[in-house]
Amino acid sequence: MTTPAGDNIIEARGLTKRFHGFSAVSGVDLDVRRHSIHALIGPNGAGKTTFFNLITKVLQPSEGTIRFNGEDITDESPARVARRGIVRSFQISAIFPRMTVAENVRIALQRPTGVSFRFWQSERTLSLLESRVDELLDAVGLLPLRDQTAAGLPYGRKRALELATTLALEPELLLLDEPTSGLGGEDVERISALIRQVAANRTILMVEHNLSVVARLADKITVLARGKVLAEGPYSDVSTDPRVIEAYIGGDE
Amino acid sequence: MMTLLGISPQLLFGQVLIGLINGVFYAMMSLGVAIIFGMLRIGNFVHGAQYMLGAFGAWYLMHLPDLFPGLGLPSLGYWWALILVPLAVGAIGAIMERLFIRRVYDLEHAYGLLLTVGLAMVIEGLFNVGYGAAGQQYDIPGSLRGGVNLGFMFLPNYRLWVIVAGISVCIATWYTIERTRLGAYLRAATENPDLVRAFGINVPRMLMLTYAFGVGLAGLAGVMAAPIYQVSPQMGQSIIITIFAVVVIGGMGSISGAIFTGLMLGMIEGLTKVFWPQASTTVIFVIMAIVLVFRPAGLFGKETVAAHAADMSTARPDGILENGRLWLVILGIGGAVLPFLVYPVFGMKILCLALFACAYNLIFGYVGLLAFGHAAFYGSSAYVAAYTAASWGFPTELAILSGVAMATLIGALFGWLAIRRQGLYFAMITLALAQLVYFYAIQAPWTHGEDGIQSVPRGYLFGFIDLSQPLNMYYFVLTVFLIGFAAIYRIVRSPFGQVLKSIRENEPRAVSLGYSTDRFKLIAFTLSAMLAGLAGGTKAIVFQIASLADLYFMTSADALLMTLIGGVGTLLGPVVGAVIVVTMQKEFATLGSWVIVVQGSAFVLCVLFLRKGVVGTLEDWLAARAERRRIASGGAPAPVAKGVHS
Repeated sequence: MTTPAGDNIIEARGLTKRFHGFSAVSGVDLDVRRHSIHALIGPNGAGKTTFFNLITKVLQPSEGTIRFNGEDITDESPARVARRGIVRSFQISAIFPRMTVAENVRIALQRPTGVSFRFWQSERTLSLLESRVDELLDAVGLLPLRDQTAAGLPYGRKRALELATTLALEPELLLLDEPTSGLGGEDVERISALIRQVAANRTILMVEHNLSVVARLADKITVLARGKVLAEGPYSDVSTDPRVIEAYIGGDE
Repeated sequence: MMTLLGISPQLLFGQVLIGLINGVFYAMMSLGVAIIFGMLRIGNFVHGAQYMLGAFGAWYLMHLPDLFPGLGLPSLGYWWALILVPLAVGAIGAIMERLFIRRVYDLEHAYGLLLTVGLAMVIEGLFNVGYGAAGQQYDIPGSLRGGVNLGFMFLPNYRLWVIVAGISVCIATWYTIERTRLGAYLRAATENPDLVRAFGINVPRMLMLTYAFGVGLAGLAGVMAAPIYQVSPQMGQSIIITIFAVVVIGGMGSISGAIFTGLMLGMIEGLTKVFWPQASTTVIFVIMAIVLVFRPAGLFGKETVAAHAADMSTARPDGILENGRLWLVILGIGGAVLPFLVYPVFGMKILCLALFACAYNLIFGYVGLLAFGHAAFYGSSAYVAAYTAASWGFPTELAILSGVAMATLIGALFGWLAIRRQGLYFAMITLALAQLVYFYAIQAPWTHGEDGIQSVPRGYLFGFIDLSQPLNMYYFVLTVFLIGFAAIYRIVRSPFGQVLKSIRENEPRAVSLGYSTDRFKLIAFTLSAMLAGLAGGTKAIVFQIASLADLYFMTSADALLMTLIGGVGTLLGPVVGAVIVVTMQKEFATLGSWVIVVQGSAFVLCVLFLRKGVVGTLEDWLAARAERRRIASGGAPAPVAKGVHS
């Protein structure tokens, strides 16, 4: 295990992203504590997804720096950041639709093995990953469906599959973009339980609209509004903060 | 008389003037292509043919009495043509949009390009049938004859007119788009087509009119070009590739950028003609490569919106038609018997092109990259194999390997350049880079220009198998094909192939899993180029010739067509496609230019009605039949995920 360079796994300073003059994120400072579940909430257009995209380097910040375990990752590529152990999920479930459920997970397991450039080997050399694939699928309740094509899964199962794929990378920092959006009650429960289960030994940063999920899971909450940090703290503090009620709960919904 | 660097001012300014005129046409054309691309997301390959229609339209109007004798029609001159022809060509564009192009808006962008490639082949093929390669003369209108003596050079009035009128049209278009309400809609659509589709305005009509307008501009350029260049069926074919390069250099998102880039490149081309004539045909493509290295988004382009690899595969991985081990044996046996059924030469042609198509399918079908320049790898390998065998006396196997090495090298370089841009740009860039190789081969001394490298010895394989014996040669080609086929199957079904599949299915997700997808794409592209080179080098030995046709963009189009007809991303599709296309070319060979028309129609019909290709359709049918049988024999329907709960 790498020795942490402090208690914070992520330290973002003055993070700003402008699109044609419009600042989606402006001057955000954010620390994410190691081994915590940190939720990012805020009304639509508050800059949550943009912030995610900046952390995972899908977007290049206009200003500011991002440190991961004390190292500056501001100028690294998305794939490099992923290999460092920052792995994200997407708002729209990110699966490989025409691969089987098992193949979806296996492609993630395959990456750290270093065989991915071997175009001269048979894919049967990957079969030694199968037992780990089954473990991961079992953990999210998808083992009975392992040989199905992923496209055929119902929505909640796709999210579970995405989570299993993400977990396969053993990420140090897991970024979940609205993990329960579009799910029915039963599925929300299952995914919430899963998140709690996988949070052991990991750090989770999540964007989430469902406040009851946030209330139950998050150790700390950052409220974004108009690209800026409005409030920060545990749920009990944030939920009673009048500015938050004004901007988020009162204003938007 | 003063001279500049030993160049007389007459020559210098004369070439700059010609360059400027070319630049005006580049600007007008790339403006239309950029508008159509921006708004409709269609890489309008047929733009060149539409420009040619403009020139022929002017010529027709002039010759109305000859064309329709007895009707007493007047001969309508240049000024009439200037008004009527752009309207007519625009109307033809509107009809084409209504009948064909509209059908592919919601499909992968690749289909739009394929469709317009097919339409261009049909139109240009038909004119070729009617008028052959010879150009028609179109006289400069009387009022614009003569010229002005500027002291240092003579400026013909017509050329002055073209420059003034062309730039005015560009500026008027710029004004309309940047400064009017209609333009605001168009620009909004360029920035975010989906949003404008959601506006209340009549979007289908707006798209149709936009297409018609862009095409009308091409028609206008054609009329203006008629008195300068020969009015010939081929006039649009080469300009469209240059226009694509101009669009890549300029980048999207700036109308004035497209105009400026067009004019500038025309002048640079003109200047190159003065100082280094041999390089003048390639300079634009070289500039494109340089721009891609330093400003991948183009000179005036904004940050590119990532359009990712397209999943166009139609294969069902578990189907019997995708079992490579089985089919390697079947193809081996079938191939062994083939020379007793058809002429060995015909069989070898099929094998070479089938390998070429399989190599192409590796990048198009399995990675989802619409490459459009595989002729460069096929042809360069053919030339190198032919040259080393004929001039250096390389043994056959070494000659082919030299060709393969060259194709691999060029493939790595082109891939490195092209992978910086996505989607349709990728197609335009690979096309333009391949054209660079083509123009090089026209001029380089060792390729012997139009003649090509002929009388290549077949030689002795490993020094003792006489390849001048048709059957020896045939079985050697069969072996090469089977090796290539097996290699592709192995690549696709390897750990590497799994990553390629994930990139094709969902590239952002593959990146988020930590894969540097560009590196995988580059390796796949290079492998594809290498195998295309294997096909090209072998072909040069079989037919004992390497010629410009091997490098021409129609060869790239052939690879695409074979893959498309057979089934994109299927194991056997390219092989079946090669059999169909080669047979078709043989059957229609006596019909001359009609071959192009037939092939173009095949493109159009495939895009519209047979997107899964022969093999893809067959695989669907087999899968559906298996499912029906299973249910009929008492099996439950395939498990639907909903039914299972943990």
